[in-house]
Amino acid sequence: MATVTEKVDRATATHPDVSSYTEVNTDILAMLSRPGKWWWILFGLSVAGIGLLAFSWGNQLINGIGLSGLNTPVGWGAYITTFVFWVGIAHSGTLISAILFLFRARWRQSIYRAAEAMTVFAVMTAGLYPLIHLGRAWHAYWLFPYANQRMLWPNFRSPLVWDVFAVTTYFTVSSLFFLLGLIPDIAAARDQSRPGTLRQKFYTLTAFGWRGTDRQWHHFGKAYLFLAALATPLVLSVHSVVSWDFAMSIVPGWHATIFAPYFVAGAIFSGVAMVITLMVPIRKIFGLEKYLTVRHFDAMAKLILVTGLIVFYAYLNEFFMAWYSGEDPERRVFWERLFGHYWWATWIMLICNGLIPIMLWFKRVRHSIAALFVLTIFINIGMWFERYVIIVTSLSTEFIPFAWGIYRPSVTEMGIVIGTFGWFFFWFLLFIRLLPPVALAEIKEVLPPPMRPKPRQEVPR
Amino acid sequence: MHDIPVPDRIEARYLLPNRGTTILLAAFVAVGAIAFIALLGMNPDRAWQSYVANWLFFTGIAQGALIFCAATVITKARWNWSVRRISLAMGAFLPLSYLLLLPMLGLREAYFPWIDKMAYDEIVQLKAAYLNIPFLITRNVVGPLVLFTMSLIFMYWAVRPDLAPERARDEGGVTGRAKWRDRLSGNWLGQEAEEARSWQKLKVLAPALILVYAVVMSIVVIDFAMSLEPHWFSTLFPVWYFMAAFWGGIAVTTITMVLLKRGNPYFDEHMGPQQKHDLGKLVFAFSIFWAYLFWSQYIVQWYGKLPWEQAWYIHRSTPEWGPLSLLAIGLCFLAPFILLMGRNAKLNPTFLGSVAFIAMLGLWLERWLLIAPSLHVPGTPTITFWEPLIGLGFLGIFALSVRWFLSTFPVVQLWQHGVDPERFDREIPPPVDRERVVV
Repeated sequence: MATVTEKVDRATATHPDVSSYTEVNTDILAMLSRPGKWWWILFGLSVAGIGLLAFSWGNQLINGIGLSGLNTPVGWGAYITTFVFWVGIAHSGTLISAILFLFRARWRQSIYRAAEAMTVFAVMTAGLYPLIHLGRAWHAYWLFPYANQRMLWPNFRSPLVWDVFAVTTYFTVSSLFFLLGLIPDIAAARDQSRPGTLRQKFYTLTAFGWRGTDRQWHHFGKAYLFLAALATPLVLSVHSVVSWDFAMSIVPGWHATIFAPYFVAGAIFSGVAMVITLMVPIRKIFGLEKYLTVRHFDAMAKLILVTGLIVFYAYLNEFFMAWYSGEDPERRVFWERLFGHYWWATWIMLICNGLIPIMLWFKRVRHSIAALFVLTIFINIGMWFERYVIIVTSLSTEFIPFAWGIYRPSVTEMGIVIGTFGWFFFWFLLFIRLLPPVALAEIKEVLPPPMRPKPRQEVPR
Repeated sequence: MHDIPVPDRIEARYLLPNRGTTILLAAFVAVGAIAFIALLGMNPDRAWQSYVANWLFFTGIAQGALIFCAATVITKARWNWSVRRISLAMGAFLPLSYLLLLPMLGLREAYFPWIDKMAYDEIVQLKAAYLNIPFLITRNVVGPLVLFTMSLIFMYWAVRPDLAPERARDEGGVTGRAKWRDRLSGNWLGQEAEEARSWQKLKVLAPALILVYAVVMSIVVIDFAMSLEPHWFSTLFPVWYFMAAFWGGIAVTTITMVLLKRGNPYFDEHMGPQQKHDLGKLVFAFSIFWAYLFWSQYIVQWYGKLPWEQAWYIHRSTPEWGPLSLLAIGLCFLAPFILLMGRNAKLNPTFLGSVAFIAMLGLWLERWLLIAPSLHVPGTPTITFWEPLIGLGFLGIFALSVRWFLSTFPVVQLWQHGVDPERFDREIPPPVDRERVVV
């Protein structure tokens, strides 16, 4: 009889192998103490990446933006591509923590903390790119909305200024959301850390005196719900505004009305793929198999499948409308995308984002964590190339054939792009050592509550 | 979700036939038909514009409601257990909708301006591979046929487990019900096996149905609305149409739920706060989504300032049409946004239903605005009493088919899928060191 009930529980329980609240604390907080060999190797690589970033960017600051491959007619290249890529990655965090919370998708509890952290660090990475792309980064403050001494304001009709508002708002709200959710878990870490250590002082400070009283939980729940509701429109607005950086101008291949929802879907697509890419090694290195089960990966894979289909619909729609428009430049840009100088980038995009996700229709693929890991890396690559294709192919063959040109990323640009991956992973790796990377309190919500053992009853058969 | 209580046993309850309502709805159909024929005699162009706009509206919400039902199947939603069948019932309009579509395929020069322009307009000539009558007819015959057939198969598998032969006594002696039960429950495998099989079929059909929906609805709306200004194109336009139809499906489910709650204490009890609150939230959320899509299309074309793109908006913001456009935005977005924001508003059924109804009036007007300003003859009125009268006819057909469905099949789905039928026990192997975790 016992085996029967256990089996049913295994099929329906979210974390069948976690048996008590104490166990959750022990397992998750253990991540904060034992880094292990692999963590140090990855951390070393990230620091090396930051070194590369510092060298390449420093070199560009000293010697000028000419070190990049940017020139007429392609004035936006790898920097803006990677900016959009990181803003896109930043999407899934708030989607998972806010929208899935409102939709009562409980599977989010195991992954949402890491996804939110990823969001915050991805925005921090994306935020570097406008500075890098400016060339003279010391003038970056000109973007902010205040008048200069001649009372000239930034041009509010420029989508680039909208971007400043959209991205900073998103950064503020997602950080707040992230930090708010952390409070009860930091308090748990505080209570378990050795008194007098620096760590304990840090946790004491950041736990804001959390004691887990009824009153505190009540306020916490309310605040969380309201923040979730307020953050939900942001999930759509940020990448919509980023897409309008392109769609507002009349560059063929950019001026498409579908860009806003298409970019949002693409952002969620790439963001969730990145969550899987990050969670698979973390799960392995820190032994989190009990907390991140196949159920969670399956749900994320389905989310990738849905958003991937929306993205693919947008691709087809764009190709059709480009033809249907009857506009020569519009038609030619899309023809050039498929068969022109950058054909390889377009086909990488179509294969990685259109064909490879087809495998996710199969349950066996969704349930194989190794397969998902490989697949999501392809999706990440494909999504980087999507932005590359949109930006570079459109600019290189604009209206007048006389002004066409080819862009090739320079060594400096590649160094910076690779270096910012180091920057992102530096923060992320520090995060999993410093703050509870899995939400303790929320996992406990879905575990069976601790009860006094009932006297065993025989079930009549 | 496991915290949503679903009763172990759900009774088979039907929408009771009500002569008064049937006569009223039949009168609607008659009025609509007479209005259409009368207008056909006086101003055939206008009659057909009104017909197509109404077809796009009612087919959209019927198919949208079914897609909403399919979406809740994919997400294994439990909260809508008592209203899932209502969304499904809207599909009963689809076979009639297909019949109503066929006359629209006979439309020619008077409706499709590109037919005449093909002779002299160079840009339109470039589109000849798509904008030609044989292909137009082919894709609009085949596309909706595939979509509606798949929808009907989906409905069949969704109702079949409720038609067990041993449930015959539930029918209350209504012959129509017995006839349909006999027709649809052949080769009965037994309750449990039927439920398992239906669930399996629905799980596979639902995603396919949604994919076909996106493609077919895009084709239909490109042909019957976008191509009316043959120089104008917008990649978002089809998405805007079918997502608004999806929203309409949610809203019409809400309105029907409110009407059912009034007439029957059993429905009133089971379509409770959970359903009201969640449907209210969805009507609210997708109204904002409608506004988002509207805005995403508008701002890009307004900002781009390309004459052939702005033309479409200019036709809709003239002194004649502008107020109607603003009214549509107000009814579709501002009214639900302001009125449905609070929790109490969503829990008060009369209020919720009225707001959903107002939003649907807005959506109906929006459909008219997708078509009429493109074909407007200067000096003629923008909207007359004829359009609502023809709409009344469509409403009558729509409501009669939905009423028929809900009085033939149980209003609350009798079989309910499990908490999470997808089993993971094979993929999550049992633990090796069970002792370690005992604290």
